Amino acid sequence: MPADRPPFEDIYRDYLGRIYAYVRAQVGTSADAEDITAQVFMNAYQAYARFEARNTTPSAWLFRIARNATLDHFRAHGRRERLRRTIEHQPMPEEDPAGQAEDHIQYRALLLQVAQLPERQRDAISLRHSGLSFDEVGRLMGCSEDAAKMLYHRALRALRELVQKERA
Amino acid sequence: MSEQEEELEVQALQRQLDDAFETTRPRPGFDDELWLRMQSSRPAKSRLGDAFAGFWEGIREVPAVPAAAVAAVLVVAVGIGIFAYSGLGRGGGGAATSSALSEGASRNYATGTFGRLPTPVFNGGAKSAPTSQGLADTASPEYLGPVQLTWTGKLDLTITTAPVFRYHEPSTNTADQFATALGAVLRERPAGFLGSYSASTYTLKVRGTVQSPQSSPAFFIFSSLSMPPIDAAGAGPSDLADIFLAQHSLSPQWSYAVAVDGSGDPVKVVYQRQFDAPGYGPAFLIDGSARRTGIEVDLSNNRPVLVSGLLPVSLDVASYKVVSAADAIQSAVASSGQGVSATPAPTVKLTQAELVYVLVPAGDHSFYEPAFLFSGSFQLDGKSFLKQVLVPAVDPSQRSP
Repeated sequence: MPADRPPFEDIYRDYLGRIYAYVRAQVGTSADAEDITAQVFMNAYQAYARFEARNTTPSAWLFRIARNATLDHFRAHGRRERLRRTIEHQPMPEEDPAGQAEDHIQYRALLLQVAQLPERQRDAISLRHSGLSFDEVGRLMGCSEDAAKMLYHRALRALRELVQKERA
Repeated sequence: MSEQEEELEVQALQRQLDDAFETTRPRPGFDDELWLRMQSSRPAKSRLGDAFAGFWEGIREVPAVPAAAVAAVLVVAVGIGIFAYSGLGRGGGGAATSSALSEGASRNYATGTFGRLPTPVFNGGAKSAPTSQGLADTASPEYLGPVQLTWTGKLDLTITTAPVFRYHEPSTNTADQFATALGAVLRERPAGFLGSYSASTYTLKVRGTVQSPQSSPAFFIFSSLSMPPIDAAGAGPSDLADIFLAQHSLSPQWSYAVAVDGSGDPVKVVYQRQFDAPGYGPAFLIDGSARRTGIEVDLSNNRPVLVSGLLPVSLDVASYKVVSAADAIQSAVASSGQGVSATPAPTVKLTQAELVYVLVPAGDHSFYEPAFLFSGSFQLDGKSFLKQVLVPAVDPSQRSP
């Protein structure tokens, strides 16, 4: 293994949670998020021998795989249908195995609202809050750093409106 | 709303998003399950035989698991699934040693005290598999067509009796005691298992006998990511496996030989269980695919990722009359592969034979019975195959039809 490439186990430990959260915000249900996250890391594990640290960061590399896997998922299942099912089956508090923590429920609801945003807005928010820089977000989304910032802020405002609408 | 108020709301929303993304994590155990699947996803050198199909539902508990990924795990896990622990002797610690069982009690077995024995079933009576070297199988498809068998080897058999071993089916209590001794705590009793237990660095599952395809009571230790690598400078895989087993009081308490498959990741260390047949010597326990089996320790970067072996059970022993070498050879030659082929059946010379032990499930108690494993290699369409034929060793007069 090249010296500049960390053991895959380290990457797995560092990124599993973040990738899962990113995917979860895209698809809205934990079952789908687990499926896709598993696929992401299985693919990454198989491809790690070809990963070249001098060309990209592990973070950008993994999120690219995650983004593609999520897009594939929507292509295969139809995003509209998935969202409809997600919203119809929004988990009730008693389904939360971790208990009835108010914050937890609120965060899940928030991620569900993220999942309802248009694709690029959703992506910008998810990538940014998964810890990526605007430069990395832009590279992944095929736009400049400034364009990524603008997209992100537009997405934030759209999300705020969604939240307010939900509260009303 | 003023612009300032709006900005404050946006900032609050950003903080909530930060918290939401930081606290949204997969359910407990998902990381370990996925890691195990990844470890098992390397190109499977072992093929999942039909014989393993019955075990599938028992171990497959995560709906999201891709079948191919888990299949490799099952090959590993079930491959070691047949072996028994003898509470009568403790001969382990080195390769191919004789157990106290043979030294202390072998010559005083009561003859035939188990009554008529069930007749082993060997996947239709004969088995054919591509040539393998050590533990590593080739990826070639199995040859299942008919063959013409001849015997050109030498089978010197001086024994007229051989021990048969019997154990009673372990209960949930047995499994709980085993887990408690390891320091693991009962978590649940999933279908197909006696129990699932958790410890600080691994999940333990214990399973009873599987009737079909036959598999012995077994334990499976799935390490979590917190399982530390074994720190032993200069130690090889078998040393590391020894250390892990000793640390967990799982060292084999029976005779064995060690085989290491270092062809991939994880490296597999197999402690191949042996039974002592007085007058013959050590006879390997084999599984439904004729592989020598016992305890297996899978190591990745010096870290145990999967450890599996047979659940310790007490064995009763009785002596049974065995067939003569000539009768065994005749039975082997008379057998043939399954299937119909338009081309003439290849002629296969069986050149080797050894006494082995196989599991014969029989309800609330099951047996390890002696058998003869004949083998010979042959070429077909440019490929090398190994033909293996199993023949029951216990005399037909002492077996139920």
